[in-house]
Amino acid sequence: MQKLLDGIHRLLIWILAVTVVLLMVPVSLQIFSRFTELIPRYMWTEEMSRFMFIWMVMIGATVGVREGLHFDVDVWPSLKPRASLLLKMVSNLFVIAFAAVVLYWGIEFTQFGWNQSSELADMPMWWIFIAWPLCGALWLTFLIDGTLRDLRRLPSIS
Amino acid sequence: MSSVVLSPGMAALVLFGGFFLLLILRVPVAFALGLSALPVLLIEPRLSPMVLFNEMFKSYNSFILLAVPFFLLTANLMNVGGITDRLMRLSRALVGHFPGGLAQINVLLSVFFAGISGSSTADAASQGKLFIDAQVKEGYDLSFSIAITAVSAVLAVIIPPSILMVVWGGVISTSIGAMYLAGIVPGLLIGGAQMLTVHAYAKRRNYPVYPKAKFSEIVESASISIPALMTPVIIVGGILLGFFTATESAAVAVIYAAVLSLFFYRELTPSQLWEAIVETGRLSAIALFCVGTASVFGWLLAYYQIPKALLSNVQAWGLGVIGVGVLIAGAFLVVGCFLDAIPAIIIVGTTLQPLAESVGMHPVHFAIVGIVSLAFGLITPPYGMCLMISCAVAKVPLRFALKDTMIMLIPMLVVLCGVIVFPELALFMPRTFAPDMLK
Repeated sequence: MQKLLDGIHRLLIWILAVTVVLLMVPVSLQIFSRFTELIPRYMWTEEMSRFMFIWMVMIGATVGVREGLHFDVDVWPSLKPRASLLLKMVSNLFVIAFAAVVLYWGIEFTQFGWNQSSELADMPMWWIFIAWPLCGALWLTFLIDGTLRDLRRLPSIS
Repeated sequence: MSSVVLSPGMAALVLFGGFFLLLILRVPVAFALGLSALPVLLIEPRLSPMVLFNEMFKSYNSFILLAVPFFLLTANLMNVGGITDRLMRLSRALVGHFPGGLAQINVLLSVFFAGISGSSTADAASQGKLFIDAQVKEGYDLSFSIAITAVSAVLAVIIPPSILMVVWGGVISTSIGAMYLAGIVPGLLIGGAQMLTVHAYAKRRNYPVYPKAKFSEIVESASISIPALMTPVIIVGGILLGFFTATESAAVAVIYAAVLSLFFYRELTPSQLWEAIVETGRLSAIALFCVGTASVFGWLLAYYQIPKALLSNVQAWGLGVIGVGVLIAGAFLVVGCFLDAIPAIIIVGTTLQPLAESVGMHPVHFAIVGIVSLAFGLITPPYGMCLMISCAVAKVPLRFALKDTMIMLIPMLVVLCGVIVFPELALFMPRTFAPDMLK
């Protein structure tokens, strides 16, 4: 199971890097086409980069959930390791709730976009909307896995 | 609007109460914003959780925000590609012989960095690694070293290019070119204030100095840095001349930094390039994800007209431009303690804009006061990204460097007051170089 999750994690990082690089392509095309006659002025470049961007944000947020990178505000003076771990588990429960919301209503959101297509490139909108339920499901998986591991660590920490 | 179930007061209580409760429980800010919006979306019969998705989608579906990953990528490329090293050598030759030499270099390098990158967090991360250890080894106090690294990093969003100005321009529709020009003088003044602070510290605590660089060393290090120092000219000039938009200029900066690193300084290896790209994806996605949930939060505040209720009293006070300027700076400084700057622009910037307009404050002046205040929010606890990053690099808790940070903040606040009282400090540059952009 851990191997599978680590594999998904690595795959997500790889996709994340690819989306960052791909973001550059349509924007560069847009600039080059303005100043040279070599390539036509594609209309879809702007839309394409926006959609790539949405996927980058959602995938990156998912990597962030796995790696615990999302920033929190630390209002507590130095807590003992055990109290700190317990607090982390409580806060994880709330994030799990949010992930469940994003998954549950995300499916409705995707269905809502089923018959829509984008304005410029005529792309089916569910290609974009599906990012939400998909990432919601991944957050849930990663968070439950993390919480279970914390639970196992708990007895050994004072 | 008449058929809302929750009164504005109740809605505000649920939203803000939920948000702060979740923050205390250490729920990450991005999720706390989304979760506190949820009860309202479920209670109010006219709303549904679909609002959450629609607003997140709308905020990410924006060409403007693309500038965020581009600016981060530029900064990461600079660091691995040898551009930062060249600029460091130049800074050393220029200010190394001042009292507190290495700390002065720290500030001046931030000024140069700010002219190429628009991201303060990238500056804090890279200079934290460069300076904190090195300064401690030379006999500087650790808390001083962390604090000066964090406070000088805020220059990156004040001196053009700037992520915050691009976002501000997108959200409040102000000319980005004019803001870029307007940020130069306040940014340099803040940098100068920081160098004076370092000077005072160094005199009191006998911090070391470097031998004065020979003139030939200055010329040599300057000439090798010229291509890197051309970046702000290309970006700002390109926008002013209408060659490209703000977002495109960020992409141009990426290409320029990549070309310099690959072909001119030739220090970029494939694995470093990969690491720079992955790091860019991570950091920008986390920052931007928060923008989505903050937009939902902000949308709900607007739905219940909460900002209007808050500001209805203020309008009656009959404040002038200076009074409103102080109020705006205060609001952003307080919000900046709890929120990242981009969500703060979305939620608070749009709220204060009618107030600024009602007293005839110039939109660019308003933007600069707001952005400088929000930049200071990057070093104020509990949520000061630059201070958090610097402390994380040094592996100490945030409280450790707090006192020195607050001392260094005082001269910076004096500059902010100056900008509020004398709008020309900000407006002089755009008025001179691009008067039509001020209209």
